[in-house]
Amino acid sequence: MSTTPLSLDVSDGAAIPRKKDRGLFSAWWLSFIGALAITAFLCITRPDPYLRILAFVPDGILVTFQVTTLSILLALVLGLITGLGRISRNRALNLIASTYVEVIRGIPLLVQLFYIYYALAAIPYVSKLPPLASAVIAMGFCYGAYMGEVFRAGIESIDKGQTEAARSLGFNRRQTMLLVILPQAWRTILPPVGNEFIALLKDSSLVSILAVADLLRRGREFAGETFFYFEAYTIVALVYLVITLVLSKGVSHMESRLNYYDRH
Amino acid sequence: MTDISPIIDIRNVSKLFGSLRALNNVSLSIRPSEKVVIIGPSGSGKSTLLRTINQLEQVDQGTILVDGQEVTSPDTDINKVRMELGMVFQSFNLFPHKTVLENLTMAPIKLKNVPKLEAESRAMGLLKKVGIQEKAHVYPTMLSGGQQQRVAIARALAMQPKIMLFDEPTSALDPEMIGEVLDVMVKLAREGMTMVVVTHEMGFAREVADRVVFMDAGTIIEEGTPEHFFTAPRHDRAKLFLSQIL
Repeated sequence: MSTTPLSLDVSDGAAIPRKKDRGLFSAWWLSFIGALAITAFLCITRPDPYLRILAFVPDGILVTFQVTTLSILLALVLGLITGLGRISRNRALNLIASTYVEVIRGIPLLVQLFYIYYALAAIPYVSKLPPLASAVIAMGFCYGAYMGEVFRAGIESIDKGQTEAARSLGFNRRQTMLLVILPQAWRTILPPVGNEFIALLKDSSLVSILAVADLLRRGREFAGETFFYFEAYTIVALVYLVITLVLSKGVSHMESRLNYYDRH
Repeated sequence: MTDISPIIDIRNVSKLFGSLRALNNVSLSIRPSEKVVIIGPSGSGKSTLLRTINQLEQVDQGTILVDGQEVTSPDTDINKVRMELGMVFQSFNLFPHKTVLENLTMAPIKLKNVPKLEAESRAMGLLKKVGIQEKAHVYPTMLSGGQQQRVAIARALAMQPKIMLFDEPTSALDPEMIGEVLDVMVKLAREGMTMVVVTHEMGFAREVADRVVFMDAGTIIEEGTPEHFFTAPRHDRAKLFLSQIL
């Protein structure tokens, strides 16, 4: 009898459609076509606020992508370092990496944003960071901790025999990691990284409170000036939905292409 | 024969796994070109002993010299010594993200600075030798177990090692594929390679071994020529083992 405990794997990113999962696949199409259809319908029937809103938010989409991309790059670097630290034999490195993960995971992202933007600036002689930099630092450090766990799990998922084979050929630890383990772990790591990217893109809406002119902020600005609250936030929601759906499709596509050496 | 200095010299080696004595004061020396087959029941420490030679397992006591270098000493550059020690694993352990050819050329290019073209032509020669040059550009998962193991042998040979270590190289194979791997190993033995082989293939031991080493419970119980060992073992443990396996 199997004694493996039941585990639930729930992520806050958009669901990555799997090729064989018909149900999810059609749910994706329903959401995607639905979102586009509603947007088109609104713009055609009431072009006055809706088309104006749609013309007003693209600047925000660019900022959202800018914040998300910069944050994820920082998170990937921190995640790799943290992941390697977490599996390191060096006790000090291991402890630093683990503590970073524990601390970051225990503090809400919104609080971290406030902390970096407002609290640090309250320290004498520390000048206030620009909003965009604060946003990227806070989100990069926050997601870096999660990414560290993704990297650690990805590295640990590679069979021990791979390390032994590489070491027995004469590769040192670093070469083994770079040439043998990471290229294989990447395949395990990429889908959750894609998922984190999508989750981060959604969380990036939090930076609108730091006066970063992202998608949500642009929607708020429009609503604030015109009082079209319902219309503005409807469009903002639809745009977020379309973006995350497209991205999740992209991740799914990338995932299947990464399996190139597993084809029999 | 005793005037030739050993290429592998294992002296009073002990190894603990928790409270289990995996190796208990084991000594074994192996001359250049010698073929030593280590046999014994599972859990006898034979794989552990083999893996201490290239330090995939570290010992708790004792010393091991490989080609005059003390691999058990922390001052030795173990990566250098490992380049002279080819190793073949039970589970092949080919690099799945590299083609067959890349599996063979990666280490010579990165570790010995062999030019790529030269490494590739040498690799093709080795693949021809193990009989699968037509698979050079496919990924390992597309090969059968026997083919993968032959590639693994070629990969180890690509570093031009002085010694080859085999850790149960046919144990994970379907019966019809064992022969093709053993053929390659016999060929290698005929060419004069120093070989240390942990195996359950008694036919191979009889045909190739200069010496058979029988281990049980972390110690070497008996060693001798295959004729002697298979026909007239002295110890009861060895007799029992042979009666079970033959």
